[in-house]
Amino acid sequence: MPQQVGNGSAAWRRLLRPGTGGDTSGASWLVLLLFLGPALLVFGAMTAYPMVRTICDSFFTIDDPDKPIWVGLANYVTLAGDGTFRRAVVNTLIWSVAAPVLDVGVGLLLALCLYAKVPFTRFLRVAWFTPVLLSYVVVAIVWLWLYNYDWGIVNVLFRAIGLGGLASAWLGNPHLALGSLIFIDVWKWAGFNMVVCLAAIHSLPSEVLEAAELDNCGWGGKLRFVIVPMLRPTLLNLYILAFVAKMKVFDLVWIMTQGGPLWSTETVSTYVYKRAFAWNTFDLGYPAAIASVWFGVVIVTVLLLNRLLRSRERVEF
Amino acid sequence: MKRQVLACAAALCAALLSPVPPPAAAEPTQITMVSNWPDEPAKKAWVSDRVADFNAGNQQCSVKLTFTPKAEIFTQLKATLRTGHAPDIFYMEPDSPEFFDGGYLEPLDAYIEQAGIEDWARPAWTHNGKIYGIPAEAYTVELYYNKNLVKKLGVELPPDFQLTQAQFADLVNRAIKAGIAPVAAGVGDRPYPGAFLTFESLLRKLGIEDYGKLVHGQLSYNDPRVIAVLTWMKGMIDAGAYPRSMSTLKLGEAHFYFYSSPGAVIFPDPSWYTGRAFAKPEDGGQPADFPLGIMQYPAMDNGACPTCKTLAVGGSFSMFSKSPHKECAGAMLRSMATVENGTKWMEMVALQTGIKSDPNKIDSPHADYFKDLNARDKNAKYFFGVPLLYYRGKCAETYSQVMNAAFPEGLIGVKDAADQMDAACLSK
Repeated sequence: MPQQVGNGSAAWRRLLRPGTGGDTSGASWLVLLLFLGPALLVFGAMTAYPMVRTICDSFFTIDDPDKPIWVGLANYVTLAGDGTFRRAVVNTLIWSVAAPVLDVGVGLLLALCLYAKVPFTRFLRVAWFTPVLLSYVVVAIVWLWLYNYDWGIVNVLFRAIGLGGLASAWLGNPHLALGSLIFIDVWKWAGFNMVVCLAAIHSLPSEVLEAAELDNCGWGGKLRFVIVPMLRPTLLNLYILAFVAKMKVFDLVWIMTQGGPLWSTETVSTYVYKRAFAWNTFDLGYPAAIASVWFGVVIVTVLLLNRLLRSRERVEF
Repeated sequence: MKRQVLACAAALCAALLSPVPPPAAAEPTQITMVSNWPDEPAKKAWVSDRVADFNAGNQQCSVKLTFTPKAEIFTQLKATLRTGHAPDIFYMEPDSPEFFDGGYLEPLDAYIEQAGIEDWARPAWTHNGKIYGIPAEAYTVELYYNKNLVKKLGVELPPDFQLTQAQFADLVNRAIKAGIAPVAAGVGDRPYPGAFLTFESLLRKLGIEDYGKLVHGQLSYNDPRVIAVLTWMKGMIDAGAYPRSMSTLKLGEAHFYFYSSPGAVIFPDPSWYTGRAFAKPEDGGQPADFPLGIMQYPAMDNGACPTCKTLAVGGSFSMFSKSPHKECAGAMLRSMATVENGTKWMEMVALQTGIKSDPNKIDSPHADYFKDLNARDKNAKYFFGVPLLYYRGKCAETYSQVMNAAFPEGLIGVKDAADQMDAACLSK
């Protein structure tokens, strides 16, 4: 392509200023538009427009899309007093804060196991990563079986080792249901974090690790004073990515509990879905208000986290 | 230039030499229809047969039929109706008033013979004097039981097949002591099965008028009569009446739980029980020799109406108000709502229908079952509609979470349940 441009018509020469090479600062608007246009178009149609439209919709009652009724801030006022929404916010925040810590922590431990060359490393790497490849639908169905009170493997194992008293309706008990779902989420994503952490560990400068060994630093000391501090940017990136993903958690909850029992697993996403599609109404205004508020919460939280963490480390994601 | 001229000449020659297509034969207008019941062979067969009959006997219209699970139908409809791309005919239930309110359903008065619809079923689909659905499925809320297990527990049913409140609790307790699952119920994929026993008992305690007030939010759940029923229920629930796995047990699995594994004594279920149970055993139906019985829900102490029973219209078919092919869709619906097809429904599905039928012509292998069902429904006083026909929004959600799930699962007490229902449903 550079050859074509170099030998091309005068029009092409006018479009690309001489000496642009890898430096795009000298490119004309037309060329920039040519390269950015498709991406901007997709972003505008699939992200920006729905986002702006959702925020606009939140000021209306929209039973009939052709005749939206302006209600101002009424949806937001109702939302402020909505107990189910508050419950959903609390559940989602618990999930978003706790699950990434476990995801990343377990992922790091697994990566360290592989780095330490435990037996069956190749098999374990595949086995631990496999859940990442499964869709949430499959994961949910499998765990519905595993958690079954009567014949699920979890309770069967408890009974087999004489701990039948611990056998529970894992998804039917409001005190256990959210934790049970978070456990599944950790099981699914720990493998992804493991792979990233393992790559990061392998890319650590060997001279630093060797220097630590020369200083008679044991495994524990090396881990605490060398490896984890040097992995810190990677771990923070993983945490923020996981945090953002958990703030939108929907599939697993919807398939397994639909927010029950007694709203103990209701998340903001499942509540938006219920209000939009399962509430004996076609109104999209109120669900749009919930989505808008949550969009704001996610943006603000991520900015805060970014700012907080950037003061110590440069976070890139 | 020379090249362009040559290209034009070649194109012209090709056009002249190509065979002239014959005038297209008039293609029939194809309409789309979406039905529930992909996992209920008998109902699926009835709908498929009606469409096949229509397609075979109609030159102008053809119907493209698909089967989709109920939850997905409603989700899809809420998206496609808004954009005007919904199917011409779709599965619908009368407890979804938003579809009327949104103007998405076409009145069928001009398209169907109303004489083909049962008088008692018509109100379920009548709004502002117009009818909006073909009520294929109708049902009564029944209490199925395993005759052998009841006998094994040493309980003999009275001639009217109705136990008293105390006798029913005794039956449940005997089952628990014998290590037999007393009640089959699963709420994993439905917002109502866990509430059948409670609400049918409430209906018999309160009578039609006051029960109507309860489900219209005009009577408190803290009414002493309601509390009495809930307290009686709570005693059985705490003793272990319901499966511990009921929160994740799906409706289809609850059927299996009742008649196969582990096997339960009773199964509160509408008469559409047959849709799954009368399928072949290898398709999830009950074993051929299963000792199925139908008893009355227990008579409540000082109950206002021991013979009351819930009658409701379920799966129906409606027309999209913005369908571009209303004549074809109307013809299809008209062809469904005939006495002949009502009779076929009864034969094939072994379930009541809101379409008129001819009992004398029903030729069913389940004649004994029908005999039992008719005997239990004889002299019944009907209350029309299950609670979700009346509950909306937050109230319906609370009913689903509290009365359908948390209360029968033993997660909350009587007072808590009553307060939560009042907070969500009681008219202020």
